[in-house]
Amino acid sequence: MICAGIDIGSITAKAALVRDQELVDTLVIKTGYDHVKAGERVFEQLLKKTGVGREKVCAVVATGYGRASVGFADKAMTEILCHGTGAHFIDPAIRGIVDVGGQDSKAIRLDDTGQVTDFAMNDKCAAGTGRFLEVMANALDVELAQMGEVGLQSQNPSKISSICTVFAESEVISMIARQQKREDIIAGIHDSAAARVAILARKTKLADPVMMTGGVAKNTGMRKALEKHLGFELTTGRLAQENGAIGAAVLASRLSVGS
Amino acid sequence: MLTTEQMQPFNDAVNDPLSAETASKEREIIGTLCTYAPEELIWAAGFHPMRLFSSKSDIVLAENHLQAYCCSLVRGILEDSLAGRLDFLTGTVFPHTCDSMQRLSDIWRLKGKYKFFADVVLPVKLNTPSARTYMLDILNTFRTELEAAGGRPILEQDLHEAIHLFNRIRRSLRALYDIKSQNPSIISGADLYTLVKGSMIMDKVQAADRLEQLVSTLMPVDTPENDTGRVILSGSVCDSAAYYQVIESADVQVVADDLCTGQRWFDGEIEDQIDPMAAIADRYMDRMICPAKHSDLTIRGEHLASLAKKHRAGGVVFLLLKFCDPHAFDYPYLKEFLETRGIKTLRIEVDEQQDNAGQITTRIETFAHMI
Repeated sequence: MICAGIDIGSITAKAALVRDQELVDTLVIKTGYDHVKAGERVFEQLLKKTGVGREKVCAVVATGYGRASVGFADKAMTEILCHGTGAHFIDPAIRGIVDVGGQDSKAIRLDDTGQVTDFAMNDKCAAGTGRFLEVMANALDVELAQMGEVGLQSQNPSKISSICTVFAESEVISMIARQQKREDIIAGIHDSAAARVAILARKTKLADPVMMTGGVAKNTGMRKALEKHLGFELTTGRLAQENGAIGAAVLASRLSVGS
Repeated sequence: MLTTEQMQPFNDAVNDPLSAETASKEREIIGTLCTYAPEELIWAAGFHPMRLFSSKSDIVLAENHLQAYCCSLVRGILEDSLAGRLDFLTGTVFPHTCDSMQRLSDIWRLKGKYKFFADVVLPVKLNTPSARTYMLDILNTFRTELEAAGGRPILEQDLHEAIHLFNRIRRSLRALYDIKSQNPSIISGADLYTLVKGSMIMDKVQAADRLEQLVSTLMPVDTPENDTGRVILSGSVCDSAAYYQVIESADVQVVADDLCTGQRWFDGEIEDQIDPMAAIADRYMDRMICPAKHSDLTIRGEHLASLAKKHRAGGVVFLLLKFCDPHAFDYPYLKEFLETRGIKTLRIEVDEQQDNAGQITTRIETFAHMI
């Protein structure tokens, strides 16, 4: 039995296929402006990549910011539930998740069955999210994918005092004008963003072992900064960004068994 | 379900406070900003007490007076006043509650746009005998101010009639809430919200009559519905039907509340066999406090826990206005208090001028799975 999960985020769209409780494959593409097309595209491309016929897919669960625009899904579930299920599927020992995506950052507490028992989300602003890092990478003229590594070279991280993305950007621009080292500014940005996310983790009383998911988990500098603030190491796999889609696919297979 | 015709006058009042159908014909209007405003006295003096809500227009003129870190309710109402949208008011009453409301009162008084203005400086601690004496004193002062504005004395008979009228409104709203708790599908959350808000705005005799008619047409079904997805809504104002719609589309029902625009307004009745001023004072002393007041240290937690038990609710959703200090201060202890008693909590922060439906839907849908 093959089931699919589609996660339409604000920046990227992800798809995952699960066959009999085993992960088949995943795919990530840019969401772009059209959520409906992004869902179709990521699903079709993953089917093509894996050679699975569309008729073989028993059930589809959609998740993420654009979950309501996936017309072919059997059910829409929130990304919080899907990240919980995904993390539990990959490592049943996990009791907490820090998910930093494009527009939201979240802390999610899990019980021993992978059920969500508490969660907190950023609500006042976008500081601490993937979009924040994207804005900063732009201001610093550095590739987003390189940002993590560059920041780790810093010996003397700058201090970013602004919470707000817009104000933080102007603060960064004035640091550039003062010719502070790029790596120092980046390390400062990671520290400031990580501090925001750590507040959410403390609010939900996350305790080791915690998995970091979402696109920002790929940023090593951000992950290290977060570990420093939390006081313990975070688990993260190569599929951190696809974790929500994987969870959705697992929930789809439960849906299929249930019916 | 309630019919469109039954809902019409309440919808009209919500959409246009001066709608011909529901406005007072002879009474001048005094705006109130909080459920601690002693509406019975305002009515007894011959005025129509009308709760003010923000029209949620963009903040332009209020920006010069109140910074972005003041709550959207206070900023929104000031904007309406400065833009002339409240020119129908004869006056306003500011009970002493939160800091932002006090500052709004100051700006309001300095602008001097309306004929009548009163600060009702209620006690903050409500659990001492001296506070009760002080409360009565303050209400008597307010009575004198209203008598001067109305140009006639408030008689005992006027007070008894006002008490009777507001008790009728309170009794009907409680009956509607009980029906909702027993059979959530009979009244939608959006309709119940409109009935409460409409009653706060419209002429009080009309509100009392129409609510009684509604209650008599609604018959609860004997078999209670299943207990899944029942929550209590807690916060200051919940001023949008959309929140109820988001909650219900996640298969969750609001079966009771602890809101300024809900049970805190109409819970409890005023004793009509004792001295009316003392009876009114008792009601405002004994009603469930909002976080701008103090009674027993954990009284709000205990109240929410007992509401959850009584209405078989698995969770409490805190719907808080951004930058609302009093509610934000209470929230951490309330969350812990409830969770140690097995009641799940969810906090949602909203801004009256902003729509953030996507994030709210995500939270509510996740919470629906947790409870």
